Formats: sequence, C-alpha cells, structure tokens
Amino acid sequence: MPRNKVAWRRVVFVVLIIASLAVLTVSFRQTQSGPVHAIQRGTASLLAPMQTWGDRIAQPFQDGYHWLTTLWAAHKDAERLAGEVQVLQGKVIELQEQSEENERLKSLLDLKDKGTFPNGTGFVAARVIAKSPNKWQAWVEIDKGSADGLAVDMAVVGSTPVAGEALAGKGLVGKIVSVTAHSAQVQLITDSESSVYAKIQGSRAEGIVEGSVSGRVIMDYVDRDISVDPKLVVVTSGYGGGIYPPDIPIGIVVNVGEEDVNSYKAIEVQPFLDFRVLEEVMVLIVPGSDDTLGGVTTTTVPGGSTTTTWPAGLTTTTTVPASGTTTTTTPASSTTTTTEG
Amino acid sequence: MGRSQLIMAAKVVALLVVAVLLQVIVVSHVSILGVTGDLFLILTVIVAVSRGSLEAAVFGFFAGLIADIAYFSPLGVRSLVYVLAGYLVGVFVARFAISKPWSVVLLSGVTSFLAQFMYGLFQYVMGPRGGFLTMIGTQMLPEMVLDALITAPLYVLFVRTGLLPVRHVEAAQFGGAEE
Repeated sequence: MPRNKVAWRRVVFVVLIIASLAVLTVSFRQTQSGPVHAIQRGTASLLAPMQTWGDRIAQPFQDGYHWLTTLWAAHKDAERLAGEVQVLQGKVIELQEQSEENERLKSLLDLKDKGTFPNGTGFVAARVIAKSPNKWQAWVEIDKGSADGLAVDMAVVGSTPVAGEALAGKGLVGKIVSVTAHSAQVQLITDSESSVYAKIQGSRAEGIVEGSVSGRVIMDYVDRDISVDPKLVVVTSGYGGGIYPPDIPIGIVVNVGEEDVNSYKAIEVQPFLDFRVLEEVMVLIVPGSDDTLGGVTTTTVPGGSTTTTWPAGLTTTTTVPASGTTTTTTPASSTTTTTEG
Repeated sequence: MGRSQLIMAAKVVALLVVAVLLQVIVVSHVSILGVTGDLFLILTVIVAVSRGSLEAAVFGFFAGLIADIAYFSPLGVRSLVYVLAGYLVGVFVARFAISKPWSVVLLSGVTSFLAQFMYGLFQYVMGPRGGFLTMIGTQMLPEMVLDALITAPLYVLFVRTGLLPVRHVEAAQFGGAEE
C-alpha cells in the first residue's frame, strides 16, 4: 500500500477525531438555543415520527414478549404461592387451635375467678392426654401428677365449649382416682362408679349424683316430698367426705322421676360439661388436703399405706405396692374395694 | 472518484439510513436484560471488517452523530467513540486478517465492551456517576453479549447479499496490511 494512502487514512482519522471533539466542544459550550442544539432538535423531530411508528410496530411484539415473561413469572408465582398457601393454611389451623385453647383456658380462669372455692384453694391446670376407650368407664388422663402436687381424691373442674346459660360449659369434671409422677387419672362424674354429694339450688334438695354406663347422670336419694323443678341448677354440697368443695356447678335438672315403690326421686341431670370435647381441666388443691381437710384425717404408715378417716365415718386405706395401687374404702354400712395394676 | 467508489459510498449511505431505521424502529424496542443493542456500533464494526479502517471511521463518525441526535446526548460523544472503534477495528482486522463470522462476532463483542467503557468514562467525567462494577455487570457485559449476538446474523446477511462483501486480506508480518 502506498505510503501516501496510509498517510491519507491517518489524516482522515485525525480529522474525524478533531471534528468529533469540535462538535462535542461546541455542543457543550453552546446554550440550548444555539444552532448545534437547534440542528439536533430539528433532526430529532424528523426521527420522532419514525420512533412513533417503531413503537407502534414493536408494541405487539413487546406485549407478546411481556405476556410470555409475565406468564412464566405467573406460573412461578403460582407455584410459590401454592406452597405459601399450604404453609399459611397450616398456620391458620394452628392459630385456630391456639385460639380455641385460649378460649378454653380463659373459661377455666373465669371459672377459677368466679367460682366459690374455699379460701386458699390452689389450682393446677392440666391437659387431657387420654380418655377411656369404652363406655363402661368414664375417665380421662391428664398430664399432671404427683410431681405437680396432685393426689388421689382431689376434685377436678373444667370447661368445655358449650353454648348455654350463665354457667353452661363450666363445672365439675370429677376426681382424681389414680396418680403417677406426671399423670393422673380422673374419674368423670358420668362414670358408673362415681358419686357426688350434691344439692339443687332453689329447692335445697340434697342427694347423690351418680353416673351410669349409659352416660346419663342421675341425682338419687332426693326426698320425694321436696319439690324439684326442671332447669334448676345442681351443685356440689360439700358433704360426703369433703372431696368436692361446695357449690361447684354440676348441671341442670332436666327430668324429675318418681316411682311409687321408691322413696326417693330420681332426677336426671344434664352436666354443664360436654365430656366428649373436654381438653383442659383444673385440679383443685384445697388447703390441708394433704393431712387434714375439714375434719378428714390422713395417716401414713411407713410401709407405704395411707389411711384416711372421713367425718362421715368412712375410712380410706391406700397402699402402693410394687405392682400397683390398691384403694379400699370402708363406709359405715358398706365396703368398696378398688384395685389397680 | 470512480464508479465503484461511488457505488460503495452510496451503499454506505444506504446502510446508514437502514441503520437509523432499524435502530429507531426495531432494535431500540428490543430490550434484553435491561439493555438494547447498539446497531450503529455493530455496523461500524462490520464496515471495518468489510471495507477497512478509513471507511469505518467515516461511517462511525456519521453514525455517532445520528446516534447522538436520536438519543439526545451531547453531539460528538458517540462520534468520537465510533471513529476510534471503527478505525482501530479496521487496523486490527487488517493486521490479523479476520473475516470469519465467529471472529467478527467476538470482535464486535470486545469492541462493544471497549466502546461502552469509553462512553462510561465520558459519563463518569461529565455526568452521573454509577458504580463501576455495577455498570459492568448491568450494562457493559449484557450489551456486549447482545451486540455480539446481533452481529452474527447481520454480518452473514451483508456478506451473503453482497452489500458488504468480505475482503481478502493477508495478515501482515510486520505492521498492518493496510498501513
């Protein structure tokens, strides 16, 4: 290649560089109303229609591309949201459970605050962890035991989510019949072995509330000459050994039965609690229940046997051999023996 | 100026017009990873490969002016960048006898990166200051790839149609083939 042509190229290159720098300098030094900017604006205005056409032509393609990317993003979002929905549904269920549990515990606290329990009564809240597997028995197992201060024959109250009148859903559950370090078995008032000394508010009639295999709760031993109307409230009387403090609501009278051959009325009681949905309970620790409770005397023999003497003449002997627990109750007129394990 | 040179000049002017139309109508509306291709620079590279450094520098000068007008940036910035790019690519191609499509694609990508680097330096001095690494990651590298990808079909198209035929140059032993 001739040298003059190479030089020519270099000259053109340098000229173009200088021209660029000159245009750049002029462009910067001039005001917006200067000729260079005017030319730029004029040319840009010529290009503007083309840009508009370009925009119109490109718009459908851009929309299509945007639609595709959005569709893909939406697909990804849908997958992600489906996962989140599952997690949130789980949380909603969890929160709902917690909410219901809070309601029940609140109801228990309400029972504790408004209930007429003896002064100094302690309360131990417990969760139901098992229930009797058949209708022959009616008991629940709770997650608190002797390590928490619980002992046999402590009264248990509770609340269940049942709509109704003022005391509906709150009342007597039963009593502890067996206890281990971290659990206890609570005999429900619907158990056929259960008997609770009770009275009917409004009529002052007294009797014994007993459970049955059928699940019905009957208040027996009510004198026939005492008038009892349905809808009256049945509460504990506090008699019969002082297991149950007085005035704990049990249920309401739903039916009053009288038989000529029977000297007592048999009153059907509808418990306030729906034991099928019982989940939390509260154990009452009445002051002095360890040794002396309202005239009840407890004597512990070094061999492991505990003898309790009740005011009504009952004597309860509890032995804890290696194989299990044996409870023997000897009233004045009859003898009941319960053996476990 | 002979007939063939006039035809070539007309081709270059036509190419410039086509470039403006394509850039304004199509390329500037196709955004990938947030960047759009720079057809003016790509064509400057293709002209440098096909015609040589002088033609590329001239083409780059006018293409830069039009680009500055179209993008409302200070006149002369892109002209300077494209003139340098076109001239240096032309010299490089002549020295190493580059004409294969993949080499052109690679060259276009590298040129795009260097041109943006220059333009970025100018912006850094005159205008808004962005993070260097950020601009490399979000602007320079994506546009480099995009420009390289656009170059491939365009170069093949121009060569096949004979609009810008491939020059047959031999690599210089010492110094450029052109110089």
